[in-house]
Amino acid sequence: MSGLGDLLRLTVRRNRWFYLAWVLALGITPVMTASAYEAVVGTGVKRDVLIATLVGNPTMRAMLGPPFDLSTPGGFSAWRVGTFTATMACIMTALGVIRSTRADEEEGRTELVRAGSVDRRAPLTAAVLVALGAATVLGVLIAAGLIAQGEAASGSVAYGLGTTLVAAVFAGVAAVTAQITASARAARGMAMGALGTMYAVRAVADGVSDSSALRPLHWGVPIEWMALARPYAGERWWVLALPAVLTLVLVLAAYRLEAVRDHGSGLRATASGRPRAKASLLSPEGLAWRLQRGSVIGWTLGMMLFAFAMGSLSGSMGDMLKEAPVLEEIFRRMGQDASDLVDAFYTAMLGIVGVVVAVMAVQLFQRLGQEERRQHAETVLATAVPRLRFALSHIGIAVVAATALMALVGLCLALPEAIGQGHADRLAQIAGAGLALAPGVLLVLGLAVLLHGWLPRLDWLTWVVVFWSLFVIWVGGTLNLPEWMKRLTPWEPLPKIPAEPMDWLPVLACVLVALALIALGLLGYRRRDIRS
Amino acid sequence: MNMTAIEIRDLTKTFGPVKALDNLTMDVAEGEVHGFLGPNGAGKSTTIRVLLGLLRQDSGTARLLGGDPWKDAPALHRRLAYVPGDVNLWPNLTGGEVIDLLGRLRGGLDPVRRDALLERFDLDPRKKGSTYSKGNRQKVALVAALSSDVELLLLDEPTAGLDPLMEAEFRDVIHAERTKGRTVLLSSHILSEVEHLCDRVSIIRQGRIVESGTLAELRHLTRTAVTAELAQPVPAEIASLPGLHDVTIDGRRLDAQVDDTALGDLLGRLSALGVRTLTSAPPTLEELFLRHYDDDIREPAGEREPA
Ligand SMILES: Nc1ncnc2c1ncn2[C@@H]1O[C@H](COP(=O)(O)OP(=O)(O)O)[C@@H](O)[C@H]1O
Ligand SMILES: [Mg+2]
Repeated sequence: MSGLGDLLRLTVRRNRWFYLAWVLALGITPVMTASAYEAVVGTGVKRDVLIATLVGNPTMRAMLGPPFDLSTPGGFSAWRVGTFTATMACIMTALGVIRSTRADEEEGRTELVRAGSVDRRAPLTAAVLVALGAATVLGVLIAAGLIAQGEAASGSVAYGLGTTLVAAVFAGVAAVTAQITASARAARGMAMGALGTMYAVRAVADGVSDSSALRPLHWGVPIEWMALARPYAGERWWVLALPAVLTLVLVLAAYRLEAVRDHGSGLRATASGRPRAKASLLSPEGLAWRLQRGSVIGWTLGMMLFAFAMGSLSGSMGDMLKEAPVLEEIFRRMGQDASDLVDAFYTAMLGIVGVVVAVMAVQLFQRLGQEERRQHAETVLATAVPRLRFALSHIGIAVVAATALMALVGLCLALPEAIGQGHADRLAQIAGAGLALAPGVLLVLGLAVLLHGWLPRLDWLTWVVVFWSLFVIWVGGTLNLPEWMKRLTPWEPLPKIPAEPMDWLPVLACVLVALALIALGLLGYRRRDIRS
Repeated sequence: MNMTAIEIRDLTKTFGPVKALDNLTMDVAEGEVHGFLGPNGAGKSTTIRVLLGLLRQDSGTARLLGGDPWKDAPALHRRLAYVPGDVNLWPNLTGGEVIDLLGRLRGGLDPVRRDALLERFDLDPRKKGSTYSKGNRQKVALVAALSSDVELLLLDEPTAGLDPLMEAEFRDVIHAERTKGRTVLLSSHILSEVEHLCDRVSIIRQGRIVESGTLAELRHLTRTAVTAELAQPVPAEIASLPGLHDVTIDGRRLDAQVDDTALGDLLGRLSALGVRTLTSAPPTLEELFLRHYDDDIREPAGEREPA
């Protein structure tokens, strides 16, 4: 394939920091979890009891995947953070492939490359190969790190290789979605939607009781395949053929799709539209909504479905408490002192949802920066639209969508319980619990606005905060981190309803701080140059 | 005496180490079509962005339609329309939607004019932004700008993507705007465009105005190319006349660049020798340009050395 070597070098150069940050963060997690094993699980009889309860606990299973042998640090790590790491690695490869395929094509960079004597398939090939390379480095880091800690070699290799291959599947998924849609945004949305759906399906399949007919569904979910290969628990190597074959099929499909579409467009030819604008478009707010509504609707529907699927697990919780009193101890780690398993479950779920909604809010807000880079901001600001109004049109959408979504997700989470057990009062309570976490989302958004107003080049710092929060909530409990580090998230001061009672003071204080950050950011935005 | 639509004094703007504007001073009178000429990277777009309140100058002042381009931006922008050099449209909005949107955001547009312009530029308003060619994107921005009834048009290399037919159409439209008393600032590195359209020209180079005046005034600074065929061999001493440059003598034929002040003298001498044919070409702006920018042409043009 002519030009592939040059393109590989270019792709590595342009993405090295992106991949390096992901690979290091993800590579450390499994190893650190294994090394914190004794501190977290304890020893002797206490350990055995704890493990027995973990194995049967549907909430943990729903969040983390199926437990096999938790009696070794490696096996514990593979269950506790393995599927999480593989899922995150999927985000890495998917975003990475789209960055260097559809995003480059959309910005017109691929056209320059293709104008040279470069094979038509070379850019896609280079993007996929580099993503696979990063996934391989990640797998090697995991396997080597665990072997170095004295874990069984075959289990460690299954763990590392499984992570690599699961991540490879999403390089393939992204290669396909990058062909289907004409915008990188939509391609990312489709890939992340697929990931979210898989996560929800496997959560339900793992969370239901062992005898349920839903259980085998987890075989259909690629992000579970590393776990199903059973590292440290009698490895089933053949399972790893599944992601390898699927990746191959997806990449070949992407080549096929690329061959039948035009450069710069998606699969479908772009249809004509209306020759005149509707009145609803004719304002800065109307424009912002038109640009963002696809994302808002997609996120809202996706999150509501996810919440409903998770909420449907609440039915199987009641029995658990009777069977295993030690569980409460575990839940204390995940869901802050809940006296009731279901409460703890809702609390843990809402904690994760808060961070995911923050991802949406930041993404919606960062459209403002994209508009600036693509010179659309220049076009709008050369008309009579004041800067503040222009910025607020996008900030407003992010604030309203995020706040409403927190309440909606709470509602959907409690809906199965309300229907199944007639606990209608739960609806308002859990919707309120979601709302009480919304100020955390607004704090993240405030930080994003602040950076965009004063230091637009450091926009990415917001993502560090978001991913740190996700990391702490999901796996922080097992890593033996200092307490202050675990508390270092925007959601820390907020009341974790229903495990904790409502507390207005931190809620109002966080809202005020968030508004102050937004105002401060706007001040900078009004003073600075609009760059293009 | 005309009022001033744009008044710029000692404007300086740096981007990190790059001095994009260096004490730039220029005026555009109300009602004139003002050409703003300079090679790539000279600072034309930067000047226009300062005038639009998108960039804040480091020092110096700019006045636009009697207001401050930074503080009064929204109010001033109701009275002007802008066409960027490189038009980027929203991929999902149709051309028609963009035209209506920008018109409304500016404060309103004349639907009759809009439709007339669409026809004139032969533009399909139903296509999505992502499917327009560069030239058609340019047309969308032009129609959007020209459909509003504004006092001032800021056009940054507006014809860069247009084919010759459309460029002629564009010229006609700008002529019509001028007769309506609209002020136009037209930046370009295409000299013929400016030559045909503009009352006055400012030439910018490395962030400074190096020459400014009417075309007649600027021509005055330049030489006329003269080619003459005589009835007898050209005497060698002609070459040493003052005010003649680049002289080539080839038997009876003479080629030379002649200063305006020396033209009368030369013609007198030539007719005394008996002229068979004589052609003289007034300098094009290309030649003006060559004279002012020959440094840039010798060195690679474009990027500025750090200030
Ligand atoms: N946003 C920016 N950041 C850094 N340098 C810039 C920026 N905009 C313009 N420049 C530099 O300023 C100079 C003038 O650019 P510009 O005004 O775009 O020139 P022109 O429009 O005449 O081609 C160039 O050297 C360009 O590289
Ligand atoms: Mg320019």
